[in-house]
Amino acid sequence: MTEVKNAVASGRESLKKRMQSILVLHGYGETAYHLPVSFALTGIDVRDRASSQDAYLRASNNPIIAAECLLSEKTGREGKEPSPYTGFIGDTVLRKLGYSLVDGSILGLALVIGTPANEGSAAGICRELQEKYMLTFLAGGVVPALQQSGVKLGLEYRLIPLGSTGAHGVHFTDIIARVAMMFGGVTPGDTARFLKYAAERAKAIVIVFPGLTDEEIAVVDAMRVLGFPIISLGDYRGEGWVEAPPEHAVRQGMEAKGIRVTVTAIPIPMGCSPAFEGKSIRKEEMYVEFGSGRSTAFELLTMRNVGEIQDGQVTVIGPEIDAMKEGSANPLGIIVEVAGRSMKKDYEPVLERRIHNFVNYGEGSWHVAQRDLIWVRISKEAVAKGVKITHIGKLLASKFRMDFPQLLDAVSVTLITDEKKVLAARKDAETVYEERDARIKGMRDEDVDTYYSCTLCQTFAPNHVCVITPERPALCGAISWLDGKIAYEISPAGANQPVKKGTLLNARNGEFDGVNRFVKKASHGEIDRCSLYSVMEYPMTCCGCFECVALMLPEVNGIMVVNREFKGVTPSGMTFSTLAGTIGGGAQTPGFAGISKNYILSDRFLQGDGGIERLVWIPSALKEELKDRLQKKLIGQGHPGLFEKIADETLATTIEELTAFLERAKHPSLTMKPLV
Amino acid sequence: MGSDIRFGWTGAIGSVILGATRSEGGTRKISYRVGGGTTLPFLDHAPASSPLVALEICDEPQYWPQIVRNYCGDLVDDVSAWATTAETVYGADLIRLYLTSTRQRNFSDIPLVGKAVEEVLSATGLPLIIEGSNEPGIDSEVFQKCGEAGEGERLLLGTAEAGRYRSIAAAALAYNHSIIAQSPIDINLAKQLNILLREIGIQQDHIMIDPYTGTLGYGFEYSYSAMERIRFSALKGDADLAMPMICSAIDSLTIKEVREADTAYQDEMAVAWEFYAGLAAAVAGAEIICVRHPKTVGRLKKAFTSLKTGSDPTGRI
Amino acid sequence: MALKALDIYKLLPKKNCKECGDPTCLTFAMKLAGGKADVDLCPHLDEQAKAVLGASTRPPIRLVKIGIGERSFAIGEEFVLYRHEKTFYHPPGIFFKVSDTQTMEEVSAVTKRVRDESFIRVGSDLRCNGIALENSSGTKEMFAAAVATVEKAADLPLVLISEKTESLFAALVHCGTYRPLLHAATKENFKEMCALAKHHDCPLVIKARGLEQLAQLAKECALEGVQDLVMDSSPQSLGEFITASTAIRQLAITRAMPDLGYPVFLDATGSDIQDAAIALGIVKYASVIVTAPLSEASAKAALTLRQNIYTDPQKPIQMNPGLYRVGTPGKDAPVLMTVNFSLTFFTLQGYLESTRIPCFMLVVDTEGLSVLTSVAAGKLNETLVRDALIRFGVENEVAHKKLIIPGYAAPLSGRIEEMTGWKVLVGPRDAAEIGEYLEQEWKK
Repeated sequence: MTEVKNAVASGRESLKKRMQSILVLHGYGETAYHLPVSFALTGIDVRDRASSQDAYLRASNNPIIAAECLLSEKTGREGKEPSPYTGFIGDTVLRKLGYSLVDGSILGLALVIGTPANEGSAAGICRELQEKYMLTFLAGGVVPALQQSGVKLGLEYRLIPLGSTGAHGVHFTDIIARVAMMFGGVTPGDTARFLKYAAERAKAIVIVFPGLTDEEIAVVDAMRVLGFPIISLGDYRGEGWVEAPPEHAVRQGMEAKGIRVTVTAIPIPMGCSPAFEGKSIRKEEMYVEFGSGRSTAFELLTMRNVGEIQDGQVTVIGPEIDAMKEGSANPLGIIVEVAGRSMKKDYEPVLERRIHNFVNYGEGSWHVAQRDLIWVRISKEAVAKGVKITHIGKLLASKFRMDFPQLLDAVSVTLITDEKKVLAARKDAETVYEERDARIKGMRDEDVDTYYSCTLCQTFAPNHVCVITPERPALCGAISWLDGKIAYEISPAGANQPVKKGTLLNARNGEFDGVNRFVKKASHGEIDRCSLYSVMEYPMTCCGCFECVALMLPEVNGIMVVNREFKGVTPSGMTFSTLAGTIGGGAQTPGFAGISKNYILSDRFLQGDGGIERLVWIPSALKEELKDRLQKKLIGQGHPGLFEKIADETLATTIEELTAFLERAKHPSLTMKPLV
Repeated sequence: MGSDIRFGWTGAIGSVILGATRSEGGTRKISYRVGGGTTLPFLDHAPASSPLVALEICDEPQYWPQIVRNYCGDLVDDVSAWATTAETVYGADLIRLYLTSTRQRNFSDIPLVGKAVEEVLSATGLPLIIEGSNEPGIDSEVFQKCGEAGEGERLLLGTAEAGRYRSIAAAALAYNHSIIAQSPIDINLAKQLNILLREIGIQQDHIMIDPYTGTLGYGFEYSYSAMERIRFSALKGDADLAMPMICSAIDSLTIKEVREADTAYQDEMAVAWEFYAGLAAAVAGAEIICVRHPKTVGRLKKAFTSLKTGSDPTGRI
Repeated sequence: MALKALDIYKLLPKKNCKECGDPTCLTFAMKLAGGKADVDLCPHLDEQAKAVLGASTRPPIRLVKIGIGERSFAIGEEFVLYRHEKTFYHPPGIFFKVSDTQTMEEVSAVTKRVRDESFIRVGSDLRCNGIALENSSGTKEMFAAAVATVEKAADLPLVLISEKTESLFAALVHCGTYRPLLHAATKENFKEMCALAKHHDCPLVIKARGLEQLAQLAKECALEGVQDLVMDSSPQSLGEFITASTAIRQLAITRAMPDLGYPVFLDATGSDIQDAAIALGIVKYASVIVTAPLSEASAKAALTLRQNIYTDPQKPIQMNPGLYRVGTPGKDAPVLMTVNFSLTFFTLQGYLESTRIPCFMLVVDTEGLSVLTSVAAGKLNETLVRDALIRFGVENEVAHKKLIIPGYAAPLSGRIEEMTGWKVLVGPRDAAEIGEYLEQEWKK
């Protein structure tokens, strides 16, 4: 076991000494970037002894600069190494390599350096790098080792032998330096920008076999500054050097650098496409089913730390489908574990809901409901084609990775079909559900400092800006605060953007200076103020997708709500569609607001206008739909009996009838502060 | 007149340079600085530029509208001659070459793509717009080849879309070209794509927005408004939308109205359709108008001259 | 800035008397705010409220009616600079110009063209609007005779173009009761012109170079009692036109120069690129466009552009629901279900035509929503599909029970099958792929 620290110290010393020995430098033809690392780091075009000393000094005796100068000097003296070694790679070839990197046809760059203890391990690592679309550069004893195992080398195989010694590994950094200057707009000498580019954009990893000289170790260690993970195959111990067994080296290196392999195909014997989503599987078409009271079934998605789970792993615990009787109901637990650098616990329920869509995408699989209420069927046709329980797992693992490439690095799925184990696992899942419910239920607008916008509808309502808060879902009812947050994480340039609340201007109306600023900008300067909880003063703009319209009825000093499904004329004298046509299109219309159904149940509903006691009329169907939850809410807020005082079309269809009804019912709105 | 209107703009449209002359490192006769407007189109007192007219041609005419094949005859079988004629006879400002050969089933002759680009470059001195492959599977190779073949010429490469922009961006970065960023008639999607391109490293002065143009009667109104809104937002200071726009109502020559017109005046119908859409698009903010019928080129150019405030007596009303 | 409904409501009597025709004062306030009702409809407003409401709810650009009868139309009453802000309401009238020096036959032929030619697109009848008659002869007799010829051929809206009031006077003997548009009053002749216009209750074009001068002239004509005005800034180039008409629109709608609040006139015939002038006029705020008689190609393109630009961006054009045929489909032809959003319909129709496979298109009524939005909104559902299948008798047309639905409607496939008993095949999401789909899926 080599201590890196000691080796680096001695390597640096020896490099420093040798730097003094440089007399003549030839540099390389085929490049406009001189000695690229020196040029990128210091801006000095090294061409002779003096300038090499200058650059070395300027870069605080950086071992990479020393190695670069020394190798150049040596190449000038001795000429290039014979084939297969490439030596310094010219700009023309490099431009093409850089192209593939930006283009995504290669995912990243790897340097494999040193001499493997046995030939096979190098071959295995290189094959894995090839499979994962990495462009691999080789330096040192690894090259003959690969040749002896019959591995083909060359650009077309994405395995490039730089040179016969570890010292040739420095070409790896001159490649990165030139990519930064060619593609990244890095100005030579702008050290900070170069380091930033190398760390954030270069997607490079280094895998180290034993057998390096101290100088070579010093050079490899210096690459840590460029943000390359250094994966050591066991022979080195040092700060920032990650030790890994050969079978995990590539995965760990790529994970550490955040290089993701995109999943494009799903290896299962049935079609998988949104086109199958609406296809139901009837009883007579079904081979087996799970859940819906006929058997125990549940689903759960939880997050794990990166490295805790293995991507794509699918485990079935219990009998497979061929051990199940045709037409039978069986227990099933679907457990999806996900990991990703930007994954957060809050996202679990939102991702969990996607299990429903994904299972339905399968040509012969069908899914309804959620959590421990799920009902899953697999068709006879699918089973005949060879579909097994494990394929449902494969489908889920692949689809999650395909649909959330930015968010998830690894997905593994466990499917339990053993009755006892399902019951036990369900118990754990139920604890998780409860925790989640408590968390979401408890989430109040004041608990967060950021809301989310939605400007999806600006296509037809150019100045509309929806502001989504934990207690006020989007007016279309389709996007919650959490949905907005995740949509932003997944697509940071998308239609859902974070809105910093800023300073509270008016607590009652829910007006914040940050929200106002955002709305002003996103509405192209049209809307100056936005109160989140008021219909009367600076209400939110309306696109056209709102589930309901809330509007003031000045005659009765109250506010009515009508939902899209209600076709009749409301006591305001207008139908839903007349109202929608008048207030939609992105305008702000005091006295009128587009809202979601669920917002009626929010504590924030009508807060700015005097609270839920203002609610005087809603269509009977909506009233019925909300009945249980609304009644509970009203009682909770200290308004028992208010529910019965809220009119609907069976009680009042005109403003006159409504006034009479509310007077009879002694509705509180009549005696409240005048709205207008 | 005109000094009376105040819009209170805080932004301006950026510009993109297309083509490179010998002194600029290329071989073009002329290069253009596209964009640079500071108010609504044609209201600038000293307009930075007038819209340019590009003639669209292709290297495999079986995928081209019949009406152009009839009008141009054998010319369409010789892409070099077609390009030369576009410049010398039809009077185009730019040539937009569609590499339609890549649409052939299982196309794999990548060198052919480079050859077509090189041939057209030598056949004309005009700056070029190159439309690469139609098949994601060969994007990488095709755009690499296009970029390489046109190195130094500051091409405009098309067409990047939200799900498919990496190869074209790589070609632009590697060989210093500009690119067309197309989104489906939606200002927010246009902005999103520009941000994605910025993140991959494309400078703002290397992007032209194509908000997608449905032809007259086939959704043109949506495109018209999308262009107006993009221009408006850019002038209001949204830097992510402040790129010049390119418009190509490519369906104009295949829609029913044109296809089924009496052969005696089919050309006239085709030209009218392209002309009305092209002029309206320029008024909405497009700086490059692409057309396919050779006769539309001169007409649009003449109209743009008259639109440059009162500068041309032939455009008198 | 226009008043919001709530501000207007505060000024109303709040009696819900229903005398304005609306059930509540709030409804009336909403209409006023949208410029869709007149303040005068309310009998209980005091003068002060009326003055406040009148000034801020009256359209910033005056509505002017041209002609009488079936082909008469209105221009003006616009509110926005960009169509996406709301919509453009009143499309420009396109007038074919003839001269009184042409033969009777020629004049009559052009008139009949405008009378008869129409072109149907998206369920609308697109036509040019009228005849602009120019007094090139300079004599009142020839002008009057030409007007008589036009009148004999058709009842079309007219523009009478002459600098001489005596010519106009003579012409108005024939058509004075039909509200022709008179062209044009200038600084020099506006008093006589106004007298004529007032006498016959005709709209009048005022002509001057410069916006200040136009505004001044408009003010003076209004003082003479003529308010139905149209403005000709007599631009010398297309560039001048776009600058002037943008300025007029902007200054009028912001009420910065209320005297410019009238529709704009454009004579395209002076240009040797007349098509450019017409296209420009359509998109940039012209309300009356005079042109030499157009070729069929130019007319179709111009009318289509006008239809596009004046489509309400918030209300997509709808197709009539029904069973449409592509080619001559037989009993075994495929049936493709789609929505009645015109753009979806035409796009699909275009691609289906190019496949050369005869088929049926079953267009269901999603109130003009696209597939994606109608699925999301729940508007497109299995009941709608079932009702359409029954209503349009699809079972009698084909010998199979297979329905191809759009890719974005895939979530409905199961429910449609259950509700209708038809076998549902899910087509592609993009209409461009329909040809390939039919080749691969239907033919096998």
